[in-house]
Amino acid sequence: MLRIENLSVSYGARRVLHHVSLTVENGELLALIGPNGAGKSTLVRAVSGVVPAQSGSARKNGTNLLTVPASERARIISVVPQVASLPPAFTVWETVLLGRTPYLNFLGQVSAADEGIARQSLQRVDALDLIDRRVGELSGGEQQRVLLARALAQSTPILLLDEPTSHLDLHHQVGLLELVRTLAHHDGLAVLIALHDLNLAARYADRIALMVDGRVRALGMPNEVLRPELISEAYHLPVQVIPNPLDGSPLVLPNSSQK
Amino acid sequence: MARKLILGLLTLTLVLAACAPAATPTTEPAPTAAPTVEVPTVAPTVPALTLTDGLGRTVTLTGPAQKVVSMAPSNTEVLFAVGAGSQVVGRDEFSDYPEEAKSLPSIGGSMGQYSYEQVAALKPDLVLAGGINTPEQVKALEDLGISVFYLGNPSTLEELYANLNLVAKLTGRESETGALVDSLKARVKAVDDKLAGVADKPVVFYEIDASDPNKPYTTGPGTFIDLLIARAGGQNLPGLTDAYPQVSLEQIVLANPAIILLGDAFYGTTPEAVAARPGWSKIAAVTNDRVLPFDDNLVSRPGPRLVDGLEALAQAIHPELYK
Amino acid sequence: MRHRLLPLVWTLAFLLLAVMLSIAVGSVFIPPSDLWLLLTGNISGSLPEPLATYALIIVSIRLPRTVMVALTGAALGTSGAAYQGLFRNPLADPYLIGVASGAGLGAVIAMSIQWPYSFWGLMAIPMAAFLAGLLTVFIVYSLARVGRTVPTTNLILAGVAFGSFATALTSFLMLRSSGEIRRALGWLLGGASQSGWMPVLGILPYLIIGLSILLLSGHALNLLQFGDEQAHQLGLPVTRAKTIILVAASLATAAAVAFAGIIGFVGLIVPHVMRMWFGGDYRRLIPLSMVGGAAFLLVADVLARVVLAPQEIPLGIITALAGAPFFLWVLRRSKNQGYW
Repeated sequence: MLRIENLSVSYGARRVLHHVSLTVENGELLALIGPNGAGKSTLVRAVSGVVPAQSGSARKNGTNLLTVPASERARIISVVPQVASLPPAFTVWETVLLGRTPYLNFLGQVSAADEGIARQSLQRVDALDLIDRRVGELSGGEQQRVLLARALAQSTPILLLDEPTSHLDLHHQVGLLELVRTLAHHDGLAVLIALHDLNLAARYADRIALMVDGRVRALGMPNEVLRPELISEAYHLPVQVIPNPLDGSPLVLPNSSQK
Repeated sequence: MARKLILGLLTLTLVLAACAPAATPTTEPAPTAAPTVEVPTVAPTVPALTLTDGLGRTVTLTGPAQKVVSMAPSNTEVLFAVGAGSQVVGRDEFSDYPEEAKSLPSIGGSMGQYSYEQVAALKPDLVLAGGINTPEQVKALEDLGISVFYLGNPSTLEELYANLNLVAKLTGRESETGALVDSLKARVKAVDDKLAGVADKPVVFYEIDASDPNKPYTTGPGTFIDLLIARAGGQNLPGLTDAYPQVSLEQIVLANPAIILLGDAFYGTTPEAVAARPGWSKIAAVTNDRVLPFDDNLVSRPGPRLVDGLEALAQAIHPELYK
Repeated sequence: MRHRLLPLVWTLAFLLLAVMLSIAVGSVFIPPSDLWLLLTGNISGSLPEPLATYALIIVSIRLPRTVMVALTGAALGTSGAAYQGLFRNPLADPYLIGVASGAGLGAVIAMSIQWPYSFWGLMAIPMAAFLAGLLTVFIVYSLARVGRTVPTTNLILAGVAFGSFATALTSFLMLRSSGEIRRALGWLLGGASQSGWMPVLGILPYLIIGLSILLLSGHALNLLQFGDEQAHQLGLPVTRAKTIILVAASLATAAAVAFAGIIGFVGLIVPHVMRMWFGGDYRRLIPLSMVGGAAFLLVADVLARVVLAPQEIPLGIITALAGAPFFLWVLRRSKNQGYW
């Protein structure tokens, strides 16, 4: 279980996160939604230790993840970043193997067990056929799956994803989210995922946290958070929420911005 | 241990050595009747000659040097001038005077790089280093067991005579050099006498580089040229502090030199070209047609030809005395 | 396993060849027959001429020079690979953050003083260069730091700025000096200005420390290729790793420059070539660049001694002249398109 308490982050003089508190249970998929600049990415980066926090903590079983050394933290949290700079010459295999780093010595020597875990991870994201390809040659979606495989290879109880679906087509969006939900429900990981697509969040998340201007505006089940008045206020856009005909989850429909 | 090292490393080198680029040796070690020499040095048994060189080092030779390698053009000139020309076995790349020096084997020296291998192959009993050489170069040769004498740059004519005498001692040419020094002194005195009483000291601009005609390079205090210009009855541009300063055209125009000497004539600068430079036409030397090419080697190499240079300067600065 | 070590074996073989070439070839031509004689002759006591001279040339001139050039090449190749990995920039070379410019300034300042002709007097210039080089890195690092991190962009900017400043100051000092400009120029153009075993002994401790650290940093450099954030999230203490690599590479580079002057191109080209031929895994690239750098510089040094014999060309000029066409040739022949 990931317990974030009173986390505050500033970029210089500008406060970006204001005393954010939320908990992600084991086996739960919690989605972070909110307009651009709400602080979703910052929250993910702060919890993973990349951005320093001015105050607050992020704990697992009492251990404050913000103060432990990077190598120890990397055994507890793994992150799937937005498709960021990937060195094009690295192969998929080499990239996923790097996910085992927290368990390797500083020379990076890999054991057969490590290779097995890497291979398994690639299989779960359905990317084994890409194993010898160079990362620079892959499509955005393929790269995203490789990054997920790398995070899986890290074998951590907590998984953070920062808008992993932004470059994916519909097929791969659904595929990735179904896999991530399985990881939570089946493997028992505590998964925190920042999403921009409200309806995907509604369909796959167990709980949703709505963030606005660096604060948690609402936290709860999808139908508790995805309410027209909350969403309209957050996104400055009138919306209508109806039950999804397929599974009853809330479906958010933007009204025209012109009345 | 060194032998084992050679053995191991040279095992496969034969093929390579045979295909080595044709770096033709500039000299074959002369098949003399010399006795076998131990590697790497011979310790002198009876110190016959002990002198202190320009770096403060004590140099000891068993006798006058018979196989000298010169590392500077000025040293080459000095060696030949004192009568030791036949004792010189190698010289640096730029030694071009006297004519006989050109046919001697070269040991490099351009871009500050000498071939120590070539020096070693010539088996000299003395290497004469000069002001243009660095202490590192002296040390490198010293480490090979070769005697090196560093002849410091003279800053006065008296120091030049002292240098000549030093080289004479090193090569056993004291008798000839006595006469040489006397004749040099006489010639200098002749110039001094001619100039005695001449009150007029024209301003002289000595140009060493004018790639940018608005900011040419000249010589200042600390150089021999500066010294000789004064001795030859002229005066250098006023206000110079560095040895090789870059002066602006304005400064030259202000000083209005009566004579311009082209030390860069060797590189193609002509009086006509100077007259054509924008801004130069009003300078006294240009209007009076007293822009003269000058052999820079006569005044920049610290050797006996400095006296030639002095005479040439005096003739250029006070031609009326030489009618 | 054997397959993985093959590149190293090849490169070591090339190095061995280069070493032998460097000893066998020079501005004085030693006939193979005499070489053979030195090799097989029952040598005891004194040698007859000309063998004694040849032996002197080989043992006292070529051998220490070969070792010195090899060490310098190794230092520059390894540092170059480390810098390219650290800055994730194909144009990075060991002089990027100003080590060479600083060392050059230190050397030229030291040259303006008349040191006594003694061991320490002769060590003054390399020591001044070495300390100035390290000081430059320290200043640049301090300028580039932001809180607890050292962003690579800042390092590059500060390094280029400070380096330009140091270079300009060096040029100014050189122009104002009267006789020393030739000496300074020779130093700046590169090539072991000191002979014998002294420079080898001088450079060795820093190389041992610096290169050992770099040889062990391959995995960290691999991680850094994904950017500071991802490397951090994978468990690398990023700032500490970067600092250690930077210090080690700078130590090796400063020592190399202090004793061998500024030799360009090696640190830029050798890692690129190794990467093109053998891939970008830094655990392999670092040792390969070390051995490859030594071999490359040895070949360049042989050319320097032989092309215009008896005139020797400064090493820095040879590496630039010879390095460019060589690199273009490799580039054209490279089948590996996406090698960076």
